[in-house]
Amino acid sequence: MKLCSPEAQSLPLSVGASARPSSLQGVRVGLLDNAKAPVDKMMAHIDRRLKERFPGIETMLASKVAASTPATTQMMQNLRQNCDVVINALGD
Amino acid sequence: MPSVLLISTSFTGLAANQAKVLGMPNLPCVVLPHPLGGTPLDSVLAKVDKAFDEIVAKLTTPLQAGATASAARTTAERVEIACEDEYTDLQAEFLRRNWGDGLPLVPPTEERVAAMVRGAGLAADSQVAVLAPRMGVATVELIAVNAVMAGCRPQHMPILMAAAQAMAEPQFNLYGCQATTHPVGPLLIVNGPLAGALNIHGGSGTFGPGPWANGVIGRAIRLILINIGGAIPAEIDKATMGHPGKFTYCISENEAALPAGWPTLAEQRGFASEVSTVTMVGAESPHNINDHESTTAGGIVTMVAGTMAQCGQNNVYYNGDTLVVLSPEHAATIAADGWSKEDVQKALYEEARMPITRFSRENIERRLMRRMAMRYKDRNISPDTLVSVVQRWEDVVIVVAGGAGKHSMYVPTFGATRSVTKPVLKADGSPWAAADVK
Repeated sequence: MKLCSPEAQSLPLSVGASARPSSLQGVRVGLLDNAKAPVDKMMAHIDRRLKERFPGIETMLASKVAASTPATTQMMQNLRQNCDVVINALGD
Repeated sequence: MPSVLLISTSFTGLAANQAKVLGMPNLPCVVLPHPLGGTPLDSVLAKVDKAFDEIVAKLTTPLQAGATASAARTTAERVEIACEDEYTDLQAEFLRRNWGDGLPLVPPTEERVAAMVRGAGLAADSQVAVLAPRMGVATVELIAVNAVMAGCRPQHMPILMAAAQAMAEPQFNLYGCQATTHPVGPLLIVNGPLAGALNIHGGSGTFGPGPWANGVIGRAIRLILINIGGAIPAEIDKATMGHPGKFTYCISENEAALPAGWPTLAEQRGFASEVSTVTMVGAESPHNINDHESTTAGGIVTMVAGTMAQCGQNNVYYNGDTLVVLSPEHAATIAADGWSKEDVQKALYEEARMPITRFSRENIERRLMRRMAMRYKDRNISPDTLVSVVQRWEDVVIVVAGGAGKHSMYVPTFGATRSVTKPVLKADGSPWAAADVK
């Protein structure tokens, strides 16, 4: 039986891959808390671990107001301007 | 910029899907054992410690660019399905392909789909909306396929297209609604002449069930959200519980029962009475408000506000709107005291508050005091502090629907969403009239 599929395809989007540093020594790391419990504490812990392992590393913590809405444009711009890499989180 | 995503095991499918859809299928992820929230902090940090080397490694390992995606199809793919028995074999195949809601589907033959497309008054390949999280391109034909499967008639197409456009507006936050663990499903509220012409019922038992168009229209929206928006249940739609309204959820305002002088929801939003509209609400299931005793506006408002003031709902934590569906008899009692619809909205905004002591210490500290610092920073929090359900009186959305009886409904929402109203218009921009859909 010949039928029509109900499934749509996605808009074609593609993002180029940015160059990654070979080490985190001297790198500025953004820590983006998605507002789910307990990601703020996880990010604070990763912050401590990074500073222990890579003395002199710079970190910047950003916290979304709510997990259910995207990070604000301003927050994304701040991360882009002040960080070389970002650690992000999704879900519970 | 280079990033690594931390996810728990229960969200790997959603993460992989979103990375692919947004054009970065090889996004580095580090998977931690679920759950993280609601577990002792030392166990969470132990999971982080175990993953720490992987986090560092993934931030410092070169990444290959993803393949460039090709343009999305604008017409429905034709598929040949072998079946000896049209009913059992086909239905089994629909389930295997994840095409539905679990209930039997009408086979979308080319003839049925072509007839459905004609109901739209637009070309089959016209793009109507882009629906998250798949960012699926909802063309007229693809909406029509889903409408056929749900059991719709061609005359329902204008309603479905307006609904799709409403859900695609940023303030509706369709991505959040589709992927969240919260139980949210879009509720359609139809206003205007098409409600009657299409038999979209706003009277007794409006939320269903019944032999009206509500059921198939609401169901078509769910199929559209699954098959076009990509909210595959349990895989991408991460609802912890879900709710029955996610099968179908459609009412119309009972405009004939509105008290004199009360505007319809569409009129409140600036549409003339001859323009039919669809309002989409990112809604939880409705909660009944039984009030057989109050004989004054103030009495009914107290009962409605008391039902609204519950601490576990998303509305408390976000800035979206919420919905009250007043029964005609409750609305009449309120109006008899001279209250306008706006008076009710303002009174519910003021009264729908609860003492902060209803919340757990953790919620007060983490959510109310920290996440919502902008709302509470200038206040001295004490046990007498009241927490409001919404932040503005306009965010109590009120419609009048249902039949005889003393039951109204409170419908909390996803909270991180705002209801959106769209007019139901033809290709030339004029409103669809009742005579057009007979």
